[in-house]
Amino acid sequence: MFGLIQPFTDVNHSFFGFLNQGPLTLTIFLHTVIVLPMIWIYFSEKKKLKK
Amino acid sequence: MANENENLSVWTSISFWRRSAAWVTGFAVILLIWLTFDTMGQISMGTDADLQKAVAEGKEINRVPAPTVINYHIDYKMSKTRGHEVPVIGAKEPFFGKEWSPKEAAALLHLGKLTVQAKNCMNCHTLLGNGAYYAPDLTKAWLDPAWQKGGPMQAMTNTGTTEEAMAKFLQNPSQYPTHARMMPNLGITAQEAKGVVAFLKHMSSIDTNGFPRNFSKTVEQFKTGGTNAH
Amino acid sequence: MLTSIKTNEFAGSESKKLAMMYFRVAIILFGAQLLMGLIAAIQFLAPNFLFEVFDFNVARMVHINALVVWMLYAMIGSVYYLLPDETGVETVGIGLGKLAFWVLTAAVTVVVLVFIFIQVGPGKESTIWLINEGREYIEAPRWADIGIVVVVLIFYWNVFATFMKGRKTGILTVLVADLLALAGLYLAGMFFTDNISMDQYWWWWVIHLWVEATWEVFVGALAAYGLVKIINAKREIVEMWLWIEVLMLFGSGILGLGHHYFWIGTPEYWWEIGALFSALEPVPLVAMFVHVLYDWGKEQGMAKAEGKPGNVVKNGPAMAWIVTNAFGNFLGAGIWGFFHTLPQVNIYTHGTQFTAAHGHLAFFGAYATILVGMMYLGVQGAYGVERMKSTFKSKMAIVLITFGVVGMTIALTIAGYEQVLVERAELGAGWDAFFVAQNLPWYVQAQIWRTIMGVITFIGFVYLVWDLLTIGKEAKAAQAA
Ligand code: HEC
Ligand code: HEM
Ligand code: HEM
Ligand SMILES: [Fe+2]
Repeated sequence: MFGLIQPFTDVNHSFFGFLNQGPLTLTIFLHTVIVLPMIWIYFSEKKKLKK
Repeated sequence: MANENENLSVWTSISFWRRSAAWVTGFAVILLIWLTFDTMGQISMGTDADLQKAVAEGKEINRVPAPTVINYHIDYKMSKTRGHEVPVIGAKEPFFGKEWSPKEAAALLHLGKLTVQAKNCMNCHTLLGNGAYYAPDLTKAWLDPAWQKGGPMQAMTNTGTTEEAMAKFLQNPSQYPTHARMMPNLGITAQEAKGVVAFLKHMSSIDTNGFPRNFSKTVEQFKTGGTNAH
Repeated sequence: MLTSIKTNEFAGSESKKLAMMYFRVAIILFGAQLLMGLIAAIQFLAPNFLFEVFDFNVARMVHINALVVWMLYAMIGSVYYLLPDETGVETVGIGLGKLAFWVLTAAVTVVVLVFIFIQVGPGKESTIWLINEGREYIEAPRWADIGIVVVVLIFYWNVFATFMKGRKTGILTVLVADLLALAGLYLAGMFFTDNISMDQYWWWWVIHLWVEATWEVFVGALAAYGLVKIINAKREIVEMWLWIEVLMLFGSGILGLGHHYFWIGTPEYWWEIGALFSALEPVPLVAMFVHVLYDWGKEQGMAKAEGKPGNVVKNGPAMAWIVTNAFGNFLGAGIWGFFHTLPQVNIYTHGTQFTAAHGHLAFFGAYATILVGMMYLGVQGAYGVERMKSTFKSKMAIVLITFGVVGMTIALTIAGYEQVLVERAELGAGWDAFFVAQNLPWYVQAQIWRTIMGVITFIGFVYLVWDLLTIGKEAKAAQAA
């Protein structure tokens, strides 16, 4: 699709290499893992403040 | 945002920022450690057996090959699949007139790396692009056209191979200057010089993801998938 | 500042006296750093200058080591300085702290003398242990590494024990955690390997995770303290900002490490990790800049509203250096760093004068500035003056040094462009390509300008020392009058 998914060409296979096959896949993955818990922290703080 | 009531704003709550800072930092550290384990596996030096297999099958196995790579011809060529230049390990060739056993090669490389640190090369040159910017990058110095047959250095040092020319130069660099900015004599012995040349040859076989790009390029050659590296 | 050995207005705070001892050595090493830089810069233009007597690698090694060491000294000094203020108690283990100071200073002296007179050694383990380790910025031989670790442990123990005993402010909580990481990272640079890729992998843990993570957080904490101290900024606000800064600095800086793993033999996935996280690194630097200006404007505005006349700034030169820090950090690290942090660009700029341009402006903007600011705070405290205004010398110092460093940076950026386009893009980075670019007239002119700007920096430095030596006494006399 628009050449966005690329074949794997690096020397050794690895989990991160696999995630790196389309531009931004790795990035989106990492940011999701970072940002989602912060949303959770936000709501948990809000609950605490309400009390 | 949640600002109807001043006291209820999470955005100005220290505890929210503290917890978020702790989470993000902790996550980044853990991910870095994981990535480090993965990378360590990929950049550890390969074994001689890996190297033989790679040469036989004509494909790269280790990003950092075994020290015995000094027994092989090394080139640096455009790879269509990778999209940049990669080291290509070719046929066997003698290094200082002989083939080095894995043990001997490892010992020579060890001496070379020690000498490179002891003589502080990195405060004039770059290795893998890191260091100082007073003198040429040494990542692919082994492949530089100046050192090859027909290049100026073998003639100047009156030698017949790249390794001998380099070793002679390194022992007495200011005797073989090519530019006003010379390399000083660092008191490198004959044995140390051999070690340093082994180190440089080994470094040129490391897969640096295409750095330096278009190394010593000649446009026509580059188009046909080669470079002027040798 | 040196005369403040005798002035003793710290009302018995031994911690602050110890801080001044660290500041004094720091400023001397700063001077040594600049002189070595000038020698190295001249060698670019006149390669015969001191050839085979005091070669470029020696001058450069001392230049960047003096840099790292003076900054560590000023950082330790700053911590000893702010510790009693923050905890509300005197620092514990001051006797031990003083002993550590003298041990460290003796060790640094020996290391520098060996660098200057012995320079290099034979290719043996003994050289790595006794003469120099040959790894940029952390060339100190192994014996000194171990000594440094011991001294740092003593320092850390003092800080930690004082922290446990006294008030636990947010600023200190951040500092205590950050210092542990900072000290621990040094260990990553203390081993030998034959594998150059492995070597560089771990070397960057020390260098990058220092300057783009732990040192930056340290500066955030210092700026927070400085704002509370100099303009009475509100602690809750400052500390909230500090946590936001920690979040953003560590969140981007730790994985931003990947921007050094594009070309050293490491896998291709680092392109994306390094590019993305390091591209986010300028964000906290903008935030820090905004925060400093915002707090300053706010405090000044509030003072005006309350009808208090004059300036809220209690230490003119310190505030000037902290504001320069806020901007310099953003410019040198944020902008100049971002310029070359994407792999698409870095493949050409890697290891060129462009890197040197960024290195100079970043180290100066992010660290030299605020540490000089802390020295001014120290002088104010040493003389016990309520208000310390900038003098003519303070202004000459900050203007000339900043102008000089920015000038050097611009010159090196131009040299870097030349090198990137000609050596890298056009000719492909071989030996010959390197010298073709080095000898281009525009490149040579840029190197000349760099040297001229270096001299201007040095003149500014002379004003700085002169000012630090006299400003306290003058402020005190003015206060008495
Ligand atoms: C004082 C600075 C300095 C130090 C230290 C130094 N060199 Fe050099 N080196 C130079 C300069 C300058 C040149 C270019 C000489 C010329 O072109 O005439 C050079 C050239 C070279 C070359 C040839 C360039 C090429 O691309 O092939 C090699 C190889 C080399 N040095 C290796 C080393 C090694 C290995 C060390 C450490 C043992 C070292 N140098 C230490 C300054 C230095
Ligand atoms: C205060 C913070 C910083 C300081 C003191 C600093 C300093 C330095 C120094 C001295 C180097 C050269 C290292 C060497 O000798 O090889 C360097 C390299 C580099 N820095 Fe920074 N830096 C800082 C922040 C940043 C930021 C925020 C970015 C990116 C946004 C960045 C991007 C880079 C890159 C990409 C390189 C590698 C250059 C190359 O490939 O040659 N730096 N930095
Ligand atoms: C008198 C002023 C100065 C002069 C003439 C000068 C000169 C130099 C020279 C010639 C180099 C070697 C660059 C190379 O390898 O090509 C260098 C490196 C360096 N200098 Fe300076 N310098 C000066 C001031 C400073 C200041 C004030 C700082 C920081 C606060 C600084 C930080 C550095 C750093 C970090 C490097 C290593 C850069 C890198 O590897 O990219 N210098 N300097
Ligand atoms: Fe970095």
